[in-house]
Amino acid sequence: MDYAFFLGCMIPLRSPQLEAAARKDCEILGIGLKEMHGASCCPDPVAIQSLGIETWLTIGARNLCIAEKMGLNVMTICSGCFETLKTVHVMLKRDKRYFEMVNEILGKIGYEFRGTSKVYHLTEILSDEKMLEKIKDSVKVPLEGITLASHPGCHLIRPSKILEFDDPERPEVMDKILQTLGAEVKQYAEKVTCCGYCARLNEDIGDNLCEMKFNDLVKNQIDALITVCPACTTQYDLHGRKIARKSDKPMEIPVIHLPEIMALAFGINPKSENMDIMKRAIKPRKLLEKLKIEI
Amino acid sequence: MEKTQEIIKSTDLISDLRYQISNQIGAKSLLACIQCGVCSSSCTVSEYIDLQPHRVVACLLLGLKDKILNSNAIWYCSLCHRCTERCPKNVDYSFILALLRNMAVKEGHIPPEYEITINSLLEHGFTVPYAGMLKKSIDRNREKFNLPEIVTPNLEEIEFIVKETGLKKILEDAKKGKKKEVKT
Repeated sequence: MDYAFFLGCMIPLRSPQLEAAARKDCEILGIGLKEMHGASCCPDPVAIQSLGIETWLTIGARNLCIAEKMGLNVMTICSGCFETLKTVHVMLKRDKRYFEMVNEILGKIGYEFRGTSKVYHLTEILSDEKMLEKIKDSVKVPLEGITLASHPGCHLIRPSKILEFDDPERPEVMDKILQTLGAEVKQYAEKVTCCGYCARLNEDIGDNLCEMKFNDLVKNQIDALITVCPACTTQYDLHGRKIARKSDKPMEIPVIHLPEIMALAFGINPKSENMDIMKRAIKPRKLLEKLKIEI
Repeated sequence: MEKTQEIIKSTDLISDLRYQISNQIGAKSLLACIQCGVCSSSCTVSEYIDLQPHRVVACLLLGLKDKILNSNAIWYCSLCHRCTERCPKNVDYSFILALLRNMAVKEGHIPPEYEITINSLLEHGFTVPYAGMLKKSIDRNREKFNLPEIVTPNLEEIEFIVKETGLKKILEDAKKGKKKEVKT
């Protein structure tokens, strides 16, 4: 199956190693990715939606038009892009007045939004029963003896009446995928706690939320925290280092994007043209040691 | 702490404020609020804000615009959407909050952080700057991972949309001195 691959901003421009790992996984699993030439920022569900919802909807719809012209559904590996594009798609189809308003503007620059391309996060595509079988068959380095915790984050699962993905209070899709890779997945109290990245205007919020999360992860003896969003990944990686530095207990828990841990299980060299597992503040040295992977 | 009673004059109420918001996308549900407070008890940032979500909605229903604009509640929200998820009456606080931010922005309350983001979007098509030396270093980094070249968007199209949707004018007016403080 082919998808129009929506890259966004943070991953392709700041963390291309995450894109590389996702592309490799998709190649192994037979998921075809086609480039969306001329796509812009999704746009940002925090700043741009806050400044002007019409602007946010119309730029989002313009991006979806590119996929519609390609005749493909959209796939993204960023929860922010997922939230924006899926909300734009669902809400414009539900609201005729806004649908027409958006199209009146887009019409003047040669686009027409019809709503024919559906929006998926890679996680959803991976969680399909047949795909899970394929993942299982592709594992070369089972994550045996590794304890992981998943962080679905807010914009993958809520609000469920729009995103229609997983259980919004007890999410389990990510865990199923991680178990298929051979890992033990622990449930923990702060699983659905927000990372605080989007509460940009008060730093204390992010600091405190991250501290709560890491305290819980340490208590549960987690080897790595698995994320599906570049914002959550960055937030936990940077805050995690800060928390570890001021604590006298060992608090260093690496934060790894789902496509990266999958590539690792698929036997991909962790420091190669397909990924760079060391490109983060908290290095996953112990995890690699446990898996007997040398780099 | 001594509590002083606040007296609000009926002439200060904006009677159609609720409709100004509920008439917009995703916000019709506003009128269904029963003030149960589930949103506030689910709120990620509840301990940081000076007006809890259900109180924001109450102010909105009553027509107390200034009380909302002078609160940090609309800016500290982390957009976790737990309020919207758990509301027994299906009130979409997430959309309502975005529309309240839009209302504040129209009056000149524009967070500098958000201004940087929209300027980058207009200049580069992305929220991460992608030009000059930065572009060179990003491209080199992408090459290392064998990733395809980025085909940037037509910036005239992005600018056209920002203009046509009225945001360009709001930002320009704010620059001309109508900019107001953002309560944080």
